[in-house]
Amino acid sequence: MNFWERFEKMDRRWVYLMVGITVFIPFLIPMKFPISVSPEARAFFNAVDSLPDSSTVMLVFDYYPSTIAECEPMTIAGARHLFSKNCKIITLSNIPYGGPSMAESITRRIAKEYGKEYGKDFVNLGYKYGYVSVLKGMGVSIESIFPTDNHGTPLSQLPLMNSVKNYEQIKFIFEVADNATADYWVSIVNAGYSVPMGIGCTAVMAPKCYAYVGAKQIVGLLGGMKGAAEYEILLNKPGTAFRGMDIQSLVHFLIIGLVLLGNIGFFITKKGKKKASS
Amino acid sequence: MVRTAIPVIVAFITGAAMTVAFFLNEKTPFVGQISEQLLDWLIIIGGFTLLLGVVSILRVSWQSVQRRREGWVYKIATIVSVLVMAIPSLLPVSWSPLFGRFEGSIYDWLFMNLQSPMMATMFATLAFYIASAAYRAFRARTPEATLLLITATLVMFWRVPIGEALLNHLPGDVPALVNKYVMNGVNLAVQRGIIIGAALGASAMSLRIILGIERTYMGRG
Repeated sequence: MNFWERFEKMDRRWVYLMVGITVFIPFLIPMKFPISVSPEARAFFNAVDSLPDSSTVMLVFDYYPSTIAECEPMTIAGARHLFSKNCKIITLSNIPYGGPSMAESITRRIAKEYGKEYGKDFVNLGYKYGYVSVLKGMGVSIESIFPTDNHGTPLSQLPLMNSVKNYEQIKFIFEVADNATADYWVSIVNAGYSVPMGIGCTAVMAPKCYAYVGAKQIVGLLGGMKGAAEYEILLNKPGTAFRGMDIQSLVHFLIIGLVLLGNIGFFITKKGKKKASS
Repeated sequence: MVRTAIPVIVAFITGAAMTVAFFLNEKTPFVGQISEQLLDWLIIIGGFTLLLGVVSILRVSWQSVQRRREGWVYKIATIVSVLVMAIPSLLPVSWSPLFGRFEGSIYDWLFMNLQSPMMATMFATLAFYIASAAYRAFRARTPEATLLLITATLVMFWRVPIGEALLNHLPGDVPALVNKYVMNGVNLAVQRGIIIGAALGASAMSLRIILGIERTYMGRG
């Protein structure tokens, strides 16, 4: 058995070991590769940046804890950007599995950095079952869908919610998602109520969302950890996504290397077999 | 007869009301109010389905434990996890700051320190499987597979900083070309096709349900 044949039949645990080592290298030696910003991320950032001060924005936590590595940096960067512009933030989630908890923990942490107050500068509406009904219903009245916030406080007792009745008062929707709820925000809220929105999503979802960017249904797109890193760069606050790009760079290179070597081996072995049979 | 007729009538009335309401303003008298009411009902019924899910998982797991079915020990873990997460989160915060769902509560601690890292770890292990699967299965066996291989390699280079830096060394602005012709070109066209196709399929299926042609949702054909 020659080298290529052995390479073709390599035990998958060697691949796992290589991936494991590659993931750890940037932890020991930070590389800080320069990150360029895509037009989609720049358009997203510019749309948020051009919002008038004190605008009310919905920051939507539509992702499960499994994708926090990709999605959480987007919500953190988004909350920082919005609070730095004195925007009022309304958070909610269509994910029962932790969405409201993540919204609570992130917005409160970032609010402390900017001296913002709950109820006046930001509100967490929490979760309500049935995203189609929730998104449609908020077009008529947010209070009819969420009579109380995530803490059980009636919305009428929260100063911010006294001036926000439905989508008419929402200037932008910052949707971060790892599932199909992003499509419903586009098809129900953007199409039905013309609220400008941008989507931050996992890398596997990003190709689909390009269709919404092309149709100008969303102003911009943050695709995966790269998109989050781009937003952090634009905000001039590098965070976990920026650091994560070192790891992603090396792992991508490893996978490409393995695929190329696998194909070289495939052709050499195929040629060898043809020769042997002739 | 009655068992199938009533659901079909309910599906027809609610489906027709929501369809009509979609094309009219929510403030339209009668139709707007009906659609609003139906949306509220949907949320309430949905809440009960969540409860049904919890009861069902507890019942099925408990039966497995009682009958000592294969893997019954894991079912105990499921029951304990559901109860430990649910009970303290449902108790009022006024009794103790450990209850409820907010910072400092048992639920929050379990979510942040156990559930969230466990789910993230499960998802992260995909990187290992993807690397292994890509190396084994991604072969240029046919012209179509070769095209896919080349495009995937280009996109993988383009999506990471060091890859983009390398592509920049090639003649022409390769990263911009990938963005323009692959992501905003071929990909966009295909995605639009899929989105439109899926929407047409969903519309056709909805129409079949509203008109009572499609009845499999009732558990029979």
